[in-house]
Amino acid sequence: MISYLLRRILQLLPVLLIASVLVWGMIYAVPGNPVAVMVGENASAEQVAAETARLGLDRPVAVQYAAWLGSALRGDLGASIHSREPVLKLIGERLPATLQLAALATLLALALGIPVALAGAVAPNSWLDRLLSGWSALALGVPTFWLGILLILLFAVELRWLPSASGYVAFWDAPLQTLRNTALPALTLAVYVSGIFARFLRASLITELNADYVRTARAKGLPERTVVMRHALRNALLPFITIVGIMTASFIGGAVVTESVFTYPGIGRLLIQAISSRDYPLIQGCILVILGIYVAINVVVDLVYAYVDPRIEYS
Amino acid sequence: MKVDPVLSVRGLQVSFAGAEGPVPAVRGVDLDVWPDEVLGIVGESGSGKSVTALAIAGLLAGNAQVRGSVFVDGQDVVRASPDELRRLRAERIGFIFQDPTTTLNPLMTVGRQVTEGQVAAGRLARGEAGARAAALLREVDIADPVGRAGQYPHQFSGGMRQRAVIAMAMAGRPRLIIADEPTTALDVTVQAQILSVLARRQAETGAAVILITHDLGVVAEVAHRVAVMYGGRVVETGPVRDIFRNPRHPYTAALLNSIPRLDRADSRLDPIPGQPPMPAELPSGCAFEPRCALGRGQLVCRASDPPLEPQGPAQRAACHFAGEAAAPVRAAARAAEPRPEPTAEPLLIVDDLRVHYPIRAGVLRRTVGHVRAVDGVSLSVRPGETVSLVGESGCGKTTTGRAVMGLVKTAGGRILFDGQALGGLGPAGWRKARRHMQYIFQDPYSSLNPVKPVGEVVAEPLRIHGVYEALGGARYVAGLFERVGLSPRVMERYPREFSGGQKQRIGIARALALQPRLLILDEPVAALDVSIQAQIVNLLQDLQQDLGLAYLFIAHDLSVVRHISDRVAVMYLGRIVEEGPKDAIYERPMHPYTQSLLSAVPTPDPDARRHRIVLEGEIPNPASPPTGCTFHPRCFRADERCAREAPAFVPVPGEATRAACHYPGPLAGAPAGEATSLEAAS
Ligand code: SF4
Ligand code: SF4
Repeated sequence: MISYLLRRILQLLPVLLIASVLVWGMIYAVPGNPVAVMVGENASAEQVAAETARLGLDRPVAVQYAAWLGSALRGDLGASIHSREPVLKLIGERLPATLQLAALATLLALALGIPVALAGAVAPNSWLDRLLSGWSALALGVPTFWLGILLILLFAVELRWLPSASGYVAFWDAPLQTLRNTALPALTLAVYVSGIFARFLRASLITELNADYVRTARAKGLPERTVVMRHALRNALLPFITIVGIMTASFIGGAVVTESVFTYPGIGRLLIQAISSRDYPLIQGCILVILGIYVAINVVVDLVYAYVDPRIEYS
Repeated sequence: MKVDPVLSVRGLQVSFAGAEGPVPAVRGVDLDVWPDEVLGIVGESGSGKSVTALAIAGLLAGNAQVRGSVFVDGQDVVRASPDELRRLRAERIGFIFQDPTTTLNPLMTVGRQVTEGQVAAGRLARGEAGARAAALLREVDIADPVGRAGQYPHQFSGGMRQRAVIAMAMAGRPRLIIADEPTTALDVTVQAQILSVLARRQAETGAAVILITHDLGVVAEVAHRVAVMYGGRVVETGPVRDIFRNPRHPYTAALLNSIPRLDRADSRLDPIPGQPPMPAELPSGCAFEPRCALGRGQLVCRASDPPLEPQGPAQRAACHFAGEAAAPVRAAARAAEPRPEPTAEPLLIVDDLRVHYPIRAGVLRRTVGHVRAVDGVSLSVRPGETVSLVGESGCGKTTTGRAVMGLVKTAGGRILFDGQALGGLGPAGWRKARRHMQYIFQDPYSSLNPVKPVGEVVAEPLRIHGVYEALGGARYVAGLFERVGLSPRVMERYPREFSGGQKQRIGIARALALQPRLLILDEPVAALDVSIQAQIVNLLQDLQQDLGLAYLFIAHDLSVVRHISDRVAVMYLGRIVEEGPKDAIYERPMHPYTQSLLSAVPTPDPDARRHRIVLEGEIPNPASPPTGCTFHPRCFRADERCAREAPAFVPVPGEATRAACHYPGPLAGAPAGEATSLEAAS
């Protein structure tokens, strides 16, 4: 088990490394100079050069990368060029909000998607199935920003149940406040993803419901409810775990539009800000953290598999 | 009979909704099965046998229309409510399905699956389920039943899984057991074990059994009565002896004539022409008419579907000319004519071939050992000769064939084709060598490119080798189609428009395109219906005779192998354990494994129910083979020397075969105390 885990993590480390090299290279391939942006348009060439040297940006790219990597391994991601604050601190401020949003959005998407898939798969091509498939298609088709605005109009402006813009409050300090703040952006994300969940799980359930072992289960005289829930659903959820992992990961850093609509203090927005100001250390830091979470989710998905699927051996 | 039948089916009709109206799958079936009786239902694909079985248990999908009546133990199945059906299945019917790899839920322990139905039906307390599961598993001879009950299906071998499925079917002490091809997916030695467990449990419980199979040997071995199905109807039914000795329906007679037999050496099979009808395109009148030697073209056969009528005291047949059906006696001329001993130099020589697969483990996936899939195989094939590799799954026969074709990497040994070593060939050299060696796969369905017309499929190898024009282009391809018995007019069609047998013909035509000298045939008839197998076997024999082809024939079906081979090599765990001329192997086998294997094959002759050697256990894990002679844990002749010392593969003194055994020798009857004897169905 431990060896299995270690191996999975070992396999994922190179991914992180390669990704960081790629990002570093990409930033440098794009024209534009962060120092010029920082010191202002009227600065002289000398000023720019001095500032560049102070930040170490005049060294060869490879040396810069090596230096960055060296300190990153020691847990120091440098300071933002822009605000001069440590990158880790900036990210640390945003991370809980992001994780909270991702978790809530995933839960909501599951709560919306699984029943839809179940109802459809039990009676494929019935009117209910068609109706629910229509809903999934709609959920997938509506642009996120549009849905976000719609939800704000309804719940914040019209009904005044929930706030439209969401400052971050730590969950442990004020659970209710947290939920209120996160509810609308999470719902916005969840609606779209629930469409993906429903489609995927429905298809996988229909396959399982036609499997031989389900026929065996029926032949032993089990009630249909048990056949579906205990036999088919559990098997159908296996491939689904990966999809849930991918989707949860996509909420980390990939929810920029939603975060913007709700001015939610997530990592996605931080990253976009960093990119527009060419804040190299911050960009690198954000991407590294996002990738790190991807990797962690990957490992968690593997662990869940190892736990629920007896066929996986961890030798 | 005084007792009431457990199952009584009258006028059963099942049709499925199709694009062009309902498709009839079962068209008026009557059946009765009494307690303590085994009814064998025989039929090919599309005969309606499985649909009938599912209908009896009320297990058909929602798009099936069922008419007629089915009574199980007095309970009407067709008109039962879902709740009544559920009770019926939990209490009175046990169902055994074909493929034990897919019939168990991979995520649930076997023990729980065995008793789950009884717990749900309220017939077993949850707290007692564990003990009951172990007891049920013990009754089907699973060793360590308590430990096994807590394991998952993937930890079971195929044979053990099927035992577990039988235990599951028995959990509710059913009055009726329906076994749908219960041993088709299993190796022949395991099949013998499963049939014996099934027969024993049936005798112990006095249940009625329906055994559905395509294997006439299995039926002859275990059934009391037989129903032969064709085109959705029972065409003949009666006591097993009458059916096999004196079939009244031309289909039954033709079927018995068409199968190759382990106990006879014929030179040629009598195939049934054509193919079984699809339910959607049944002919009017008698469904067998297009293939019937007796009734083909007869007005009455075309006009009306004959009813099932009594023929003699216990037999019934549905045929207008029931009295005239030929008895299954083969014409004397069909007896084997000695084939000229091939004298030419061997075309293919395999010498000490080894194929190893690495086993990896640990954090870094280091190679910690090897599976010796092929471990020192030597054989030779001469022009015009058929050499067969037989053995159970995992014995390495397919890997050997693939290694000869260069499809897997070898770990040692030499392969010579026409005197040339294939080992050191580069890609270009291999391509040239493959012109003369062609591989024919088991599955005619997946080996043809579905998006190309079959004419293109056959022409493809010609184009790859750039000889399409040189050999005569389309005319040449048309000739190939005629060669394999297909009209060149079908060349424009796509693979999906062909039946299994026709697809295999197309596969053969493609293999012949480059005028090879050696064909490696990997289970070429295993996926085909019984009546189609004979057609393909005959085609292969004709081709060999006309073209002087050499065949390396890889198969698990020992009857087909006896029929087609000149020499036979028996493999076990990556090695050849016995090799020799076909008749010597079949008539006077020397190696205990060959003897057990042959003894396990059921013969289609109810009077031949005999003592047989039932091998204990299953093929060991090839990753950690037993010491000494790898067969010793299952061998009835083994002693401690066998466990210590691996026997050499040498000629048996005074005999025609070579064997790898310390104590080779003919089987003296069924030696008591050495072999486990078994009367198949009491
Ligand atoms: S009814 Fe006619 S076609 Fe049908 S089996 Fe009998 S003889 Fe043949
Ligand atoms: S060597 Fe021994 S164990 Fe092996 S087959 Fe011969 S008698 Fe049996």
